[in-house]
Amino acid sequence: MDGSQNNRIDQRQKKETMAYALIGGILIAAILLITTVWVSGRARVGTSQAVNRVSKFYLEELAGRRASVVSEELNNHFTYMKNALSVLEDSDLESQDALRSFLGKVKKMYGVDKFALVDENGLVYAQHSTISGRSRYGFLEEAMKGPVISTVNLYGARTQVLLAMPVEGITFQGSRIEVCFIQLNINEMLESMTLQASDNETYCNLYYRNGESLTNDDFGYLSAGKNVLSAMTEAELDEGYSYEQLADDFAVGRLGQISFEYEGIPESLCYTPVEGTNWMLTILIRGNVISDQISSISSAMMNRGVIQILITMGSMLLVFLGLIHQSRKNARILLEQEKMDGDRIRAAFAQVKREQTAMDNIHDAMGSGLWTMEFDEKAQMISCTWSEVFRKMVGYESEEEFPNRLESWSDLLHEEDKERVTKEYWDTVYDYTGEKTYNVEYRLCTRHAGWRWFHAAGRLSRRDDGSPISFVGLFVDIDDEKKMEQRLEQQKIDLQDALAAAQHANRAKTTFLNNMSHDIRTPMNAIIGFTSLAATHIDNTEQVEDYLAKITTSSNHLLSLINDVLDMSRIESGKVKIEEKETSLPEIMHDLKTIVQADITSKRLEFYIDTADVVNEHVLCDKLRLNQVLLNLLSNAMKFTKPGGIVSVRIIQKGNAPEGWADYDFQVKDTGIGMSKEFLEHVFEPFERERTSTVSGIQGTGLGMAITKNIVDMMGGAISVVSEEGKGSTFTVSLRLRTCCGPVGQEIIPELSGLRALVVDDDFNTCSSVTKMLSTIGLRPDWTTSGKEAVLRAKLAVEQSDEYAAYIIDWLMPDMNGVEVVRRIRGLIGEETPIIILTAYDWSDIEEEARKAGVTAFCSKPIFLSELRELLESPFTVQGMEEDEEEDREFFIGKKILLVEDNELNQEIAVEILQEAGFVIDVAGDGAVAVEKLRSAKAGRYDLVLMDIQMPIMNGYEATERIRAMEDREIGTIPIIAMTANAFDEDKRAALEAGMNGHIAKPIDIPKLMEALREVLS
Amino acid sequence: MLRNRFWSKKKQETAGSRILIFMAVSALVWGSAAGLTGCVGKDTGESGSLSRQEMPKVLGEQGRGEPNTAEVINFDQRLDSYEPLKTHYHFYFTYKTVHPWWDAVGLGMEDAAKQYEERGIVIDYEYLAPDSVSAKDQTEKLLEASRRDFDVIGVDVADVTAVTPVINELIADGHKVMTFSSSDASKEDGCQRIAYVGNTHNYEDGAQLTETLCERLGYRGNVALLVGSQGVPCHEDRARGARDVIEKYPDMEIVETAYDGDDAGKAQELAKEFLTRHQDLAGIICCNMSNPVGAARAVVEAGRQKEVAIVGMDHDQEALRYLKEGVIYALGIQDCYSIGFDTIQVAMKIADGCLPGELYPEKTEEITTIIYQDGAPTMLQALYGEID
Repeated sequence: MDGSQNNRIDQRQKKETMAYALIGGILIAAILLITTVWVSGRARVGTSQAVNRVSKFYLEELAGRRASVVSEELNNHFTYMKNALSVLEDSDLESQDALRSFLGKVKKMYGVDKFALVDENGLVYAQHSTISGRSRYGFLEEAMKGPVISTVNLYGARTQVLLAMPVEGITFQGSRIEVCFIQLNINEMLESMTLQASDNETYCNLYYRNGESLTNDDFGYLSAGKNVLSAMTEAELDEGYSYEQLADDFAVGRLGQISFEYEGIPESLCYTPVEGTNWMLTILIRGNVISDQISSISSAMMNRGVIQILITMGSMLLVFLGLIHQSRKNARILLEQEKMDGDRIRAAFAQVKREQTAMDNIHDAMGSGLWTMEFDEKAQMISCTWSEVFRKMVGYESEEEFPNRLESWSDLLHEEDKERVTKEYWDTVYDYTGEKTYNVEYRLCTRHAGWRWFHAAGRLSRRDDGSPISFVGLFVDIDDEKKMEQRLEQQKIDLQDALAAAQHANRAKTTFLNNMSHDIRTPMNAIIGFTSLAATHIDNTEQVEDYLAKITTSSNHLLSLINDVLDMSRIESGKVKIEEKETSLPEIMHDLKTIVQADITSKRLEFYIDTADVVNEHVLCDKLRLNQVLLNLLSNAMKFTKPGGIVSVRIIQKGNAPEGWADYDFQVKDTGIGMSKEFLEHVFEPFERERTSTVSGIQGTGLGMAITKNIVDMMGGAISVVSEEGKGSTFTVSLRLRTCCGPVGQEIIPELSGLRALVVDDDFNTCSSVTKMLSTIGLRPDWTTSGKEAVLRAKLAVEQSDEYAAYIIDWLMPDMNGVEVVRRIRGLIGEETPIIILTAYDWSDIEEEARKAGVTAFCSKPIFLSELRELLESPFTVQGMEEDEEEDREFFIGKKILLVEDNELNQEIAVEILQEAGFVIDVAGDGAVAVEKLRSAKAGRYDLVLMDIQMPIMNGYEATERIRAMEDREIGTIPIIAMTANAFDEDKRAALEAGMNGHIAKPIDIPKLMEALREVLS
Repeated sequence: MLRNRFWSKKKQETAGSRILIFMAVSALVWGSAAGLTGCVGKDTGESGSLSRQEMPKVLGEQGRGEPNTAEVINFDQRLDSYEPLKTHYHFYFTYKTVHPWWDAVGLGMEDAAKQYEERGIVIDYEYLAPDSVSAKDQTEKLLEASRRDFDVIGVDVADVTAVTPVINELIADGHKVMTFSSSDASKEDGCQRIAYVGNTHNYEDGAQLTETLCERLGYRGNVALLVGSQGVPCHEDRARGARDVIEKYPDMEIVETAYDGDDAGKAQELAKEFLTRHQDLAGIICCNMSNPVGAARAVVEAGRQKEVAIVGMDHDQEALRYLKEGVIYALGIQDCYSIGFDTIQVAMKIADGCLPGELYPEKTEEITTIIYQDGAPTMLQALYGEID
C-alpha cells in the first residue's frame, strides 16, 4: 500500500469519525432536551406534592409555635404580675398618689395597656384612674380562686385580653386588695404573627371554641369579628375535609387543618388550641402562595434546563474541535519531553540509589538507625518508616515483627521516659516555627538485651505555613556510654556521701572528745579537789560529810559517763545482745517510778505515770534493756525540765497486733526546754548534744539517745520524738513484744457487778484509764478531776441511796488534797466502803495521817488491771510494800563472806560495806589464796564467796572452777558471786558459765549488792 | 319629640372676635382676666367650641337600611384643639350606680384621658358609684371629694332634691362642680353647677319610643310601663314622656307601672306579673337599660313574643340580641361613649377657669338613636364585635 492510499484511508477515517461525533452530539442534545422536559414535568408534580406535604407540616408547626408564643406571652404576663406584687412596698401604699406612681411604673415597665389592683369594694386602681369596676370586669363578679384569662369588648368592639390573679396580704386605705389584673391589646400581641408580602399572605388570628373572633382585625377575607365556623359553612371544602370535623376540632380544642375555597380563592386553614385558654389559634394561608411558587419554580427550571443544554452542546462542540487541534500539536512536544524526562529520572534514581546505599553503609558502620515519617497538611501522620538498621538495633528482623507504625517504637519506651519523649516528639512536630529540634535520650526495651539507652535526633521539613511534611531522624545506641556515665555519677555521689559522713563523724568525734575532756575533767576535778579538802578538814565531820557527798555525786556522774561510752562502744561493735525473758510490765513501771522518785522529789517536778488499755502485762523482752531505754528517756526528761515542770510516763497497748504479740507505746513526756528543729534531726546520732554542758549547765555525754535508739532498734521497735523549743518533748518508743501468760482476766467480779465506783484524779488520763478498768471488771464508775466535786458526788450518792462501793482517789490534787477528800467522804459514808489512795509519789510520810483520815489502802501509779482487780478482790489490809532494812540486817548478821579481791582499796571499801551490813568478812588477795582458804576451811566457815575476776596468779574464773571441783560438796557448792569491773553481758555469762551464782558490777551499788546477797543466801 | 344632636365643626373665628368674647365673659363672670387665659382656643384653624345641630335620627327601621354606627355612637372621637393651662389635672366623678351603662361612659372618659396623655397632659380621675342608687351615698361622696384637692367634681345626680343643696354648698366653698351622663340638676332646679354633659332629652326619648310602639300597635291596646329607680330624673322623665304620649291615644292605656331598681332580674319578675295579670297586654315600655332585658326574658318565657311588643332604652348586649331576634321591637341607644369623652373635655375647661359659652355649652347634649331589628346585627358587631 503506498502513501497516497494511506492518506485516503486516513481522510476517510477522519470524515467517518467527524460524522459519528456530529451525529452523536445531536443525538445527545435531543435526548437531553427530551429528558429535561420530561423530568421537569415529573418534577412539577412531585414538587407540588412535596410542597403540599411540607406546607401541611409547616403550617402545623407554624401554628403550634405561634400558639406557644401566645401561651408563653400570657404566662409571662402572669409572672410580671407576681414580680410586680413582690416589689410592692408599704411606701407604695401610703397614698393614692404613691400607688398610682407604682402602678404607672409597672405599666410602663411591662408595656401593658393597664396594670390595676382591685379592692374588696370593687374599686379598680390604675395609673390615672380609680373606678368602680364590678360591672365592667366580669371576673370580679365572683371571688377569684386562681388566675383568670378573659377578654372584654370595649365600647367599639375593641377586644382586650385581661389577665387577672387573686392577691393576698395587701391592704390599701383600709380595704383589702383582692385582685390584680393586666389589660393587653390583643391586636398588638398578634401583630408580629401575620406575614404579608405582596400577594402572598398568611394570617394569624384567635377564636373562641365557638368560632367567635377574639381580635379586631380581618382574617383573610373574613371581616373582623366574623365567626370562623359560620364562614366555613359558606366555603367549598376540598375533598377529604368536612365541616363537622372542623367544628368538632374546635369544640374539643384539637389541632387540625382544612383546605377550601372561599369566595373563589383556594386557602388552607390550620388551627391549634392555645394552652391554658379556651382559644384556638388559626393560621390562614392562601393557596396561591404555594401553587404560584411551584409553577414559577418548575417553569424556571425547565427554561433554564433547555438553555443550559443548548449552551453546553455548543461549548462542547467548540472545545472538542479545539482539543483535537491542540492535542495533535502537543503530542509531538510531549513525546520529546517524556523522552528527556525519562533519561533524567533514570539518572536521578541511579544517583539516589547510590546515595542510599552509601547512607546505609554509614548507618551500619556507625550503628545508627534511620527513621522517616510523613505528614499531611493537618499534621496527621500518614506514614512511618523504620530502617532495617533501626529494627536490628532493637532486636527485630522484619517489618512483620516491627511494623512501620509509631506505636512499634513508643510501646517499647520505658515508663519513666515515655511521657517526656512523646511530648518532645509531638512538640517538635507541632512547632510550626520550625525552631525546635528533636534531640532526646531514652530507654527502650530491646528484644534480646532488655532495657538499653538510645539517643535520637531528628529534623522536620515543613510547608510554607509551617505544617510538617516529613520528619527524618537518627537513632544511636548509647547504652554503654550511659551506663558508664551513671556509674560515674553514682560513684561521685557515694564518694560525696562518704566524705560528708566522714567529715560529720570526724566533727562529731572531735566535739565528743572535747566534751569528754571537759565532762571527765569536771567530776574528776571535783573528786580530787573535795578529796583534798576532806583530808585537810578530816577532823570536821560535818564538812567532810559534805565533801564526801559531793565526791559521791561526781563519782556517780563519772561512772555514768564511762558506762555510756562503753555501752555505745559495745553496741557499735555488735557485742550487745537482746535477751528475752518473761517480764512483768507493772514491775518495770513500778521499778522505774521507784528509781526516779527521789530525783522527782528533789527537783520538785510534777510526775504522772499511768497506763492505757494494757491487757497483756507479761511479755517476753530484755527487761534490763527496756529499763535502760525508759530510764534514759526519763532521766533526760527530768534533766531538761525545770522545777515545777511536768514529767509523765505512759504505757499504751495498741490493738491489731498478731496473735501472741502485743504492741506497746511507751511515752515519756516533759515540759522541759525542748529541742530545736535542727537538732531533732540528729538527736539519735552518737556524740550529738544540742548544747555543750558548759553552755547548758547540764552534763551529758551525748550518747544517751544514741544508745536508746540502738537498743530500741535491736528490740525491733521504733523511737520517735516530738519537741518544741521552750515547750517540751515527747519521746515515744513503739515495741511489738511477744506475750506470755495471756491477757489479764477480763471477767466481771460478781461481788462488784453493777456497783458504783468513783475515780478522783486531776489527771484526766488516769481517770479515763482507771474508769475503763473498773468497767471491765463490772463496776459502774464515775470520775472527776476535782476533789471538791468528789465530795459533792459522794454526798449526792448518799442522798440518792445509790452509794459508791469504792473510791479511788489521787493524793495530790490542786483544789483539795486527797487526804482531805478522803476525810470528808469518810465523814459521809462510814467505815465500810474502801477508799484507795492512788499516787505516783512516796506516801510513807503521810501514811499515818491518811489512815487516820480513812484511807483503806494505798496503791502506786501506774495501776494495771491485774493490780486493780487484786486490790478490789482482796480484803483491804495493810500491806508492807518493802522489806524493812532492819530485817536485812538481822538476816545478814553473822553470815560469813570470803572476799576475793586483789586491789587493797577495793578490799577496804567492800569490807567496810559488808561489815556495816552485819557480815563477817575474810579476805583473799587472789584466786589461788581463795581456793586454798576454802580447801582448808571447815564446813560452815564461809556462807558465800565474793569473787573478783581479774586478779594476779589466779583469776576469778579459774578459782571458781577449782572450788566447784572440790570434793567437799558443801564447799564445792558454796554460793559464789562475781564482783568485778568486768560489767558486760558476756562477762556475766562467763561468770555463770564458770559456775558462779551471780554477778555484781563494780563500782558497788550497795542496794543491788544487798539484794543479790539476800537472794543467794536465802 | 326626639331630638338628635351632633357635634359640628365651626368655621374659624378671627382672633379679634375671640378676644372680645373672652373679655366680655371674663368681665361678667370671673372678673379676673388672668384666670381665663387658657379658655381661648388656639388658632389652629378649628374651633374648640361645641355646638349642636338638631336633626331627627331614626335608624335601622325595617326596610330603612342598616344604621351607620358612627352616627349612633361616635367612638372615633378626637379631642378638640383646646390647649389646657396645666399639665396635670385631678377630677372626681360620681354616678348613680355600678352598671354597664356607666361603664360605657367610663370608657369614653378613659379614651379622652389617653388622648390627653399623648399630648403630655396627665389626668388622674376617680369614677365611683355605689352598688345601688343612693342619694345619701352620693352626697357623702361629694362631701368627701370636697375635702380632697380636685380640680373639678362631677356628679350624675341620683336625686335632684337631695343632691342639689350639696352641690350648691360645694360651689359656695369654691369648688368647681359639674353634672354629667344620665341626670342633671339644672338651674331650673335651683342648682348652681357649672355645666352638664349628657342626655338632655330623656322626656323626648321616652315620648319617641312610645310613639314608635303606638305606631307598631296601630294606636290601640293596653301597655305596661317599666321604670328604673324611683326619683332618678332620667328614668322619671322618660316615664313622663311615655305617659303623655299614651294619653294622646284614646284606645290605649297604661295598665300598670313598676320600678325594677335597675335590676334585670327584678324587671323579669315584674314583667311576668304584667303578663299574668294582663292577658291582653300588647306592649311594654321600658325606661332604662335593665327594663327591656327583663321584659324580653319574661315574654320569651311566656311564649308571647308575637303578642307583646317591647320598646326600651340602651345598648345592653342581651337586649340587642332580643332585638335581632324580634322579641324587642325598638331600642333607643344613647351615645354613652361620647358622654364620657365630652365630660372630660368640659371638665378640663372648667378646671382651667372657663365658663360655659364659646368653648363649651352649659349643656352638652348627646344623641339618642332608635334602632330596629335590621339594625341590631350592625350594632352588635360595632359594640361587641359579635358577628354570626
